[in-house]
Amino acid sequence: MALSTLLISLLVTSVIIYFVSKASWRVGAILNFLIGIFLISYVFALHTGTTSDLGTLFGQKLQLTWTNASFYFSAVSLMVIVSVMLFAIKWLDSQKYPAAFNMFLLMMTAGSLGVFMAADLVTLYIFWEIAVLSSMLIVPMGKKESRKAAVIYAVMSASGTYMYLYGAFLAFQRYGTLNISEIAKQMVSDPSTGIKAAIFLLLASAGIAKSGIFPLHTWLRIAHGNAPDAFSAVLSGQLVKLGSYVLMVTVAVIPSLRVFANIPFYSGIPATNYFLIALGATSIIVGTLMAIKQDDMKMLIAFSSVANGGYILIGIGTMDPMGFEGGVLHVFNHALAAAVIFMAFASVVYRTHTKKISELGGLIHKMPITFLAYLFAIISLAGIPPMSGFISKWMIYQALVRKGMFITAFIAFFGSIGSFLYVFRPLAGVFLGQLPKKYKDVKEVSPVMWIPMMILVVISLIIGIWPFPVLQPIESMRADFGIAPMVKISDPDHWLIRGFAGNWNPVLVFNLFLIGFIIAYILYTMFPRSKKVDLLAPHKEEGTPINIYTGGEYIYTPELYHYNTKFYAGFERMYEKHPSWEKVLGMLAKFFHDLGEWVHGWFFRPSPSAYAFWVSLTILIVFWVRW
Amino acid sequence: MAAYKALFNLVVAFFLVLSLEGIARKIMARIQRRIGPPWYQNFIDLFKALSKHPFSNGWIFDFGVLMALGGALATAMIIPMGSITWTPFPNSDNFFVIMYLFAVGALGMAMGMVGSGNPWASIGVSRALTQMLGYELPYLIVMSSVIFFYKTASIHKLIELQRGGWNLLVMPLGGIVAFISLMGMLGKKPFDIMIAPAEIASGPMVELSGKYMGLLHIMHVFSVFVEISLFVDVFLGGGSFGWYLVKFVVVWVLAVMISSVLPRFRIEQMLKFYWGVPLGLAFLNALFVLLGWTL
Repeated sequence: MALSTLLISLLVTSVIIYFVSKASWRVGAILNFLIGIFLISYVFALHTGTTSDLGTLFGQKLQLTWTNASFYFSAVSLMVIVSVMLFAIKWLDSQKYPAAFNMFLLMMTAGSLGVFMAADLVTLYIFWEIAVLSSMLIVPMGKKESRKAAVIYAVMSASGTYMYLYGAFLAFQRYGTLNISEIAKQMVSDPSTGIKAAIFLLLASAGIAKSGIFPLHTWLRIAHGNAPDAFSAVLSGQLVKLGSYVLMVTVAVIPSLRVFANIPFYSGIPATNYFLIALGATSIIVGTLMAIKQDDMKMLIAFSSVANGGYILIGIGTMDPMGFEGGVLHVFNHALAAAVIFMAFASVVYRTHTKKISELGGLIHKMPITFLAYLFAIISLAGIPPMSGFISKWMIYQALVRKGMFITAFIAFFGSIGSFLYVFRPLAGVFLGQLPKKYKDVKEVSPVMWIPMMILVVISLIIGIWPFPVLQPIESMRADFGIAPMVKISDPDHWLIRGFAGNWNPVLVFNLFLIGFIIAYILYTMFPRSKKVDLLAPHKEEGTPINIYTGGEYIYTPELYHYNTKFYAGFERMYEKHPSWEKVLGMLAKFFHDLGEWVHGWFFRPSPSAYAFWVSLTILIVFWVRW
Repeated sequence: MAAYKALFNLVVAFFLVLSLEGIARKIMARIQRRIGPPWYQNFIDLFKALSKHPFSNGWIFDFGVLMALGGALATAMIIPMGSITWTPFPNSDNFFVIMYLFAVGALGMAMGMVGSGNPWASIGVSRALTQMLGYELPYLIVMSSVIFFYKTASIHKLIELQRGGWNLLVMPLGGIVAFISLMGMLGKKPFDIMIAPAEIASGPMVELSGKYMGLLHIMHVFSVFVEISLFVDVFLGGGSFGWYLVKFVVVWVLAVMISSVLPRFRIEQMLKFYWGVPLGLAFLNALFVLLGWTL
């Protein structure tokens, strides 16, 4: 099947899925899942270099082609989407519009795949808009505030896309082609730095808006926080990665090191890339600090997506072999971790109907599998071995230290340690601690919902121990883009990952941890058995206390002893009065709103004489100009 | 061979640090004009704790303790002790790997202790993580400049490259900052905010009884070993195994002496302290390294 046929038939199928879902949404969801499985097998069977035409525009061929980058990004996306599709088979029964959800989810899949396949800027734009619009229509299916969230998402996204479109036409006007690789070739020989930089930044702005990089990051909190719970997994795990893809296209496919060789800024990195790196670093700071103080667990992880988008941008922006691979691998790691976290939250909300950390607690006693999925996902998100998240962070640090970028490295370290802080908040506040009495009858979610989470967790763990299956496609991608193709980072023959500053063996590190754990277990069994403290005793029978507690005190209302509000109060106090970018944007929005009101007030006076005046004036002008 | 070396690491760590902890109690007592317990007191305490019947607060409490001890053991096995001869895994002793593997133990402990359901434990963990944000940043900046300077993050190579002079003398600012950060890592006063027995009833340790107390004490022993060994290896050069032990003891005694005369910081004071002078000096050190102004 040609690529264009695939995409168009997917779009058509999505409409069919809608009507099937109208009859029975469960059949629709299962069909969606099967289509997803088919897509994964299709993606793995495709050969690089496959092209197919879509049509012509301005005498330019619109083309789809399959590259190593398309494979990598499509595979990651499909992993996330298919697991959410499986998750949705059960989860959708809590939703109001399951049929529309199924349709738009499939439509969005088609759009995203189209973006990764696009060989020219306009095709990319078309599929981009399909993905954005269909996802935008899913967002308002959430709670009350979701309508506003969808509008903010659309506006932010549009502000990026229109800049991108302008950049695309600027490139077309100057180079007479829309094909990305043609443009890349011509940009290298173009003498005018100003226009090149303009095209570069305009194209990148779509990625900045989409992956939630600093000036345009505010939609992530609102959209991720208010979208239907399982869809937040797709938003954060997959859709945001469209932005990372566009950033990669602008920075790496257009060989920015060669194009902007005449404006080096620091350590061989051109000023344009450095500008993007600075934006990424700002996002890390903003995302981390804001995530630490959120009470809404979904918004907390939304801000963490801002910070992780920053890591991806920093990694790719350095155009260093280590940094590039780290950034691209971070796409994979963050996609998996964020998807699992949001699915775990969706399970919690599915059972408890709240996403406020301060209202939850102790769910580990009721939902142990969801807890484990969340636990492993945050180990990956915080970049701790043996999960895969560590590998990409390690690579990004290598690049930053090699380039001597100490301030960026400082921010990256800050984001990394800060991530320990914020991922621990839902762990402590939602899953550990004391179970409030109102949740004493909560049950674990059905296997249909926890199996996809566990699959992603296991993949992330396996890649953390044996990362070479993912590193190799990235390495061939790097060779395509000509970023130091001689440097070999993954060395599967010796089980090593080679950095500029020393190697390490992920298998060995995992085994050491395993041995340490076994020794600990042996010690644990050698010594006397423990008596159990039943933390749920007060729930089982009214008036039973927990027996050992704070020096033997008897506790009858344990939920009062659950510490989950303002977890890092000591630290939060230090930046309470921080400047808020959301407020600045809010002021801007207010200004335009008032301007509109003012114009509106002029034209739409509630008196008939004003209407008569405007009508006669219009007629006069028409006569005068003689249209 | 590597396995024997790793095992040797564990044995050394256990006996060395546990005796040093006893010696620290003695030193502290003498500074405060008391007599103090005998140097082997901590061995007695540990085995007594391990032999008692404990209480467990659920499976995550047990799992957290195992994960904490497992992570600390794994990290202690990678650490080189002063030369390539005593480097169990020369291919994986990368600084960032050690730092992050070390975090597994910390996360396990935090998770298990919050799993006990006691609010003091949660407050203690919140303080511990905030403190981590404080001391890690100056430390990581200093380590980045060291790695940038020597073009390697492998600890045994860093030891070899210090033949010409100890790092403490090559970049004295970095050495000082690293030592201040080490104080925070060790949780010595004025940075014992997360334990603070008088305020939050020993924080994370509040619910520990019997063997859980013992196992986490062992974890603490290995953590101290990792933290001080990293400082000794990276800043105090290499040498024979004996020299390594001497340096280890000197660093420990110095830390104990400083801590026994200082009161405790509050959490904001700690953050402001670390993000003030030590962080500034760390950046200054990085700038000197970039400009090539090393001694």
